[in-house]
Amino acid sequence: MTRKDKIFEYVKQNASIESEGYTTTEISEALGIIRNNVSKELNVLVREGKLQKIDGRPVRYLLAEREMQSRNKVGEYSQRKSQITGFTNARLTESSNDDYEKDIPQDVFENFIGKNDSLKNQVEQAKAAILYPPQGLNVLITGPTGSGKTYFANAMYRFAMNTGVIKKQKFTTFNCADYAHNPQLLMSHLFGYAKGAFTGATEDHDGLIQEADGGMLFLDEVHRLPPEGQEMIFYFMDHGTYNRLGETAKTHHADVRLVCATTEDPESSLLQTFVRRIPIMIKMPSFSQRSAREQLQLLRQLLGIEANRTDKDIKLSDDVVKALLGSVTFGNVGQLKSNIQLVCAQAFLNSMQDENEMEIEFDSLPQNIKDGIPRLANNRTELSKLSRLLEPMMVVHPNDASKIQSESDSYELPYNLYEIIGSKASLLKEEGLDQPAINNFILTDINLHLKSFYREAKVDQKETNLNEIVDQSTIDLTKKIKERLQNDYAYNTGDNFIYAMSLHISSFIKRIRSGKPMRTVSGDIVTMVKDYPEDLRLAEQVKKMIEQYYKFIVPESEVYYLAVLLVSLNSVPKSGSVGVVVAAHGNSTAASMVQVVNKLLGAENLASFDMSLEMSPKIALKGIIEKVKEVDQGNGVLLLVDMGSLSTFSEQITNKTDIPVKTIDMVTTAMVLEAARKTSLIDSDLKTVYSELRDFNGYYSHKDEEHSSSQNDVDKRRAIIAICSTGEGTARKIKQIIDNILVDQLIDDVVVVPISVVGMDGRIEELEQNYRIIAATGVVNPDIGVPFISLDELFKGGGNEFIQLLEDSDRYYELNPGQPAEESLSMSEQTACQYLEQCYTFINPKKIIGILQNYCDLIERDSKKELGQSKRMGLIMHLAGAIERALLQTPISATESELIEIRTNKMFSSVQKANQMLEERLNVKFADSETYYIIKLIDTENQD
Amino acid sequence: MKPVMTLTMDVRLLRIDSRLLHGQVTTSWTKATKVDRILVVSDDVAKDNLRRTLIMQAAPPGVKANVLTISKMLRIYYDSRFDFINAMILVENPVDAIRLISGGIKVPSVNIGSISFDTTRKMVTDTVAVNHDDVNIFVWMHRRGIVLDYRKVPSDAKKDFWKCLCEKEFVHDTSQKLK
Repeated sequence: MTRKDKIFEYVKQNASIESEGYTTTEISEALGIIRNNVSKELNVLVREGKLQKIDGRPVRYLLAEREMQSRNKVGEYSQRKSQITGFTNARLTESSNDDYEKDIPQDVFENFIGKNDSLKNQVEQAKAAILYPPQGLNVLITGPTGSGKTYFANAMYRFAMNTGVIKKQKFTTFNCADYAHNPQLLMSHLFGYAKGAFTGATEDHDGLIQEADGGMLFLDEVHRLPPEGQEMIFYFMDHGTYNRLGETAKTHHADVRLVCATTEDPESSLLQTFVRRIPIMIKMPSFSQRSAREQLQLLRQLLGIEANRTDKDIKLSDDVVKALLGSVTFGNVGQLKSNIQLVCAQAFLNSMQDENEMEIEFDSLPQNIKDGIPRLANNRTELSKLSRLLEPMMVVHPNDASKIQSESDSYELPYNLYEIIGSKASLLKEEGLDQPAINNFILTDINLHLKSFYREAKVDQKETNLNEIVDQSTIDLTKKIKERLQNDYAYNTGDNFIYAMSLHISSFIKRIRSGKPMRTVSGDIVTMVKDYPEDLRLAEQVKKMIEQYYKFIVPESEVYYLAVLLVSLNSVPKSGSVGVVVAAHGNSTAASMVQVVNKLLGAENLASFDMSLEMSPKIALKGIIEKVKEVDQGNGVLLLVDMGSLSTFSEQITNKTDIPVKTIDMVTTAMVLEAARKTSLIDSDLKTVYSELRDFNGYYSHKDEEHSSSQNDVDKRRAIIAICSTGEGTARKIKQIIDNILVDQLIDDVVVVPISVVGMDGRIEELEQNYRIIAATGVVNPDIGVPFISLDELFKGGGNEFIQLLEDSDRYYELNPGQPAEESLSMSEQTACQYLEQCYTFINPKKIIGILQNYCDLIERDSKKELGQSKRMGLIMHLAGAIERALLQTPISATESELIEIRTNKMFSSVQKANQMLEERLNVKFADSETYYIIKLIDTENQD
Repeated sequence: MKPVMTLTMDVRLLRIDSRLLHGQVTTSWTKATKVDRILVVSDDVAKDNLRRTLIMQAAPPGVKANVLTISKMLRIYYDSRFDFINAMILVENPVDAIRLISGGIKVPSVNIGSISFDTTRKMVTDTVAVNHDDVNIFVWMHRRGIVLDYRKVPSDAKKDFWKCLCEKEFVHDTSQKLK
């Protein structure tokens, strides 16, 4: 029995002729139901006509007339009739109605995938923006293509509706890209126009802004808004008024909540002005940033939509799930949706005879979706997380889908695909076609429809770039080779394959056509290839394919070169960028450094770990390990720490997690920035980043021997090596590309040297005699501790940035040929002076600094231990404090046991001696506790 | 064989402006001279990472800006790989300008936009202040037949800076030219 029924029964059973009816409180007490709920239910019952209300204070409730009749009490009842107002008091009813609506939680975000995880912040921001009194706040949603910006905006609108902050029944949307080429038309759409503003404007016309008055306006792709439009939108944001096209005064007013969306980086100059005016920025995560669980939920939800459409169960194996998830690249959830539509359409076609279910079979998936599995396999941690969540067979039933659907979803097809498939298939059948032919026919159709999505997102951009250098026919052949190698021989072809192989083939063909003599095979190559019989066998296959395709004989010698290429391509493991973890003492030191860098660079491979001073190293280690795991993408993690004691962690972490970790101490924001730049832009390994960053660090403080050797290199000419299998084909092409970039950036003192994979190490050593190698590129990473850019990065246009970065990082070599140690020492002495001056009142830093240096010297001599530059400075700062405390006679405290404990420390006698010296020279007396703290300071710093 | 005209890169404007690359002024000159490259030549700025970055970002759309040291400027000027460039050179002061010209960079005139005032300098016009060295440099240029063009933006009326110097009696003989 529901609450409502209970209340109704109670009123009914106790209804008598004499009864005045019941007040809410009476019922509440009698039934033990909270008064609010009783009131709510009573209102419902009144509306349903089961009860009647009697005016007065307090309001009383009676059985309704017809209920009374059913109890045959008509006569006695009618005399009260005049007092009963029933349903007539409109105002009262309406207000209680409202209460009723509000009490039902209608939080659209409740069913949002990731609301407690990757979208937690976003959802809270959105709610805050909507509920912020009085008018809510304008919102900018950023995120990559297909990450769900429109969907999110829609949810915001529904949330606003459900909470009653807006009443407008329409969610007005506008895509700024639609009229971007015609600002005037765009403006007239947005703001409306006045009669006579232009030919054909025969009457006043309201724009979208007016249409959205009292509601919400969604501006998609807001970065495409032309400057004129921006100006007016800004004015409108600031003042709430605007003018129509053809009017001069801004006399129109509208209350509109603006939600804007863009794929652009909000830091881009275009959006700066926007960002300034929009208080709430919501960043949608990319698909890959969401957890495996969420990805799976999204998949399920999208499949649910298709299940509802077809009204069939959808079955799919875990491999299909993996392939679908792995096939998502640049297009995020939108791409997943399109892919799901594609495979569902296919499955639907294959299972037309089955009324109840359709199965998506792995074998029937298109190649680009099958490719998802190796792509997923590259990310071991994600894959293992996913595998844990997966069952061998997933079944999605038609009702699984949540009903939330946005009307203006650009990934939604404008028609029912399944209906079209069904009718088309039966039509073709009537014409007498057999099933395979029908399938073929319709599949082409489906593909065409869905391709539009990919066209919009310019997925082919990479290839067109390659097109400029290599014939399309060669690219086609290479694709065939790739497919064949992958499917028939399980050879793992990375992204680089198409570039490296097609360039190789292309240069080979040109050689043949131009009648140049064939390359001879050196003994080196034969020996090298001998170690890889498998690749040699594959090379034979590739050779055959080339022969078939171009219809000429490929000389035997070429097989060896192909084999070399295959070996080197296969040995390139595709993995993500190097992760960076910043760990520092203090409540938010690390977090704020990372936050700054994230804001500047939008880096995704950074994590921070804050450790309070009380935190035990054990807990810190555990926490840092978690962070390391989080950012590791299979390429190792760089740990940046603030103090020495943390720097011992790297080995322990590697032992526990098998993730290579390198540590650099004395982290600064600048260093985090540098780390983020290096790891995000260069396809480099941990070793490279580490050695470069150590140099970056060395700039300020210590110059180690390694560095001084590289200083000699400054005189040498700088070189970039380009590597391909022969050193003549692809490598020369690369040289051309980089040469062009160098010229474009006016760099005249870098040469590009093409070399062959064969005998690479020896050749590099040779080159290092005459050149300073500053970077490498090509089919394989030589792993010589310099930045490396892969072929596909280079062709995608990453070359420019890469060279720029090289130039920047190299700059300080040129301009700051290592300062001698004394100089840098005096520099920090100066800073120390400045610091002392700022912080202490009674001591004269210039006079005291020499004495404090002596103090450090004495400690070093006596304990036979080097303090090092940074420790020295730390100690000097501390001593200054100690002296001031002694002067003011405000000693710091230490417990008895601490004082005893310190006596056994090996530094004790040295510190005592040094203190004595200081006391004599300055005629002060140190408290015993000072000794304790000085030793602690030296000791902790000595741990590393 | 290449035509004689393109033996070096085409320097279409050499401008002295203490503020170097800045906003609308640079944009208007870029348009007027139709250059595709702005070369900011200053040893100081080339060393200063912050200013370098700021200047490179201040380039008008469609035009690239680079910051170079004097020696590098001269090096690439003679490097045939960079012949295709149509450039506008910006320098901070007359000293840098004369270092480029005496280094061999050929220009028919030098545009003087602004030289900021300091304790060694005296005002000649509302935007240009000169000291003794500057005057000597301008004399040197004048005698070699290099037109000293005083204009803030290309649409200003052309004004001979030499005349300005004469009027304010920084220099005397207006006709004397060296062969």
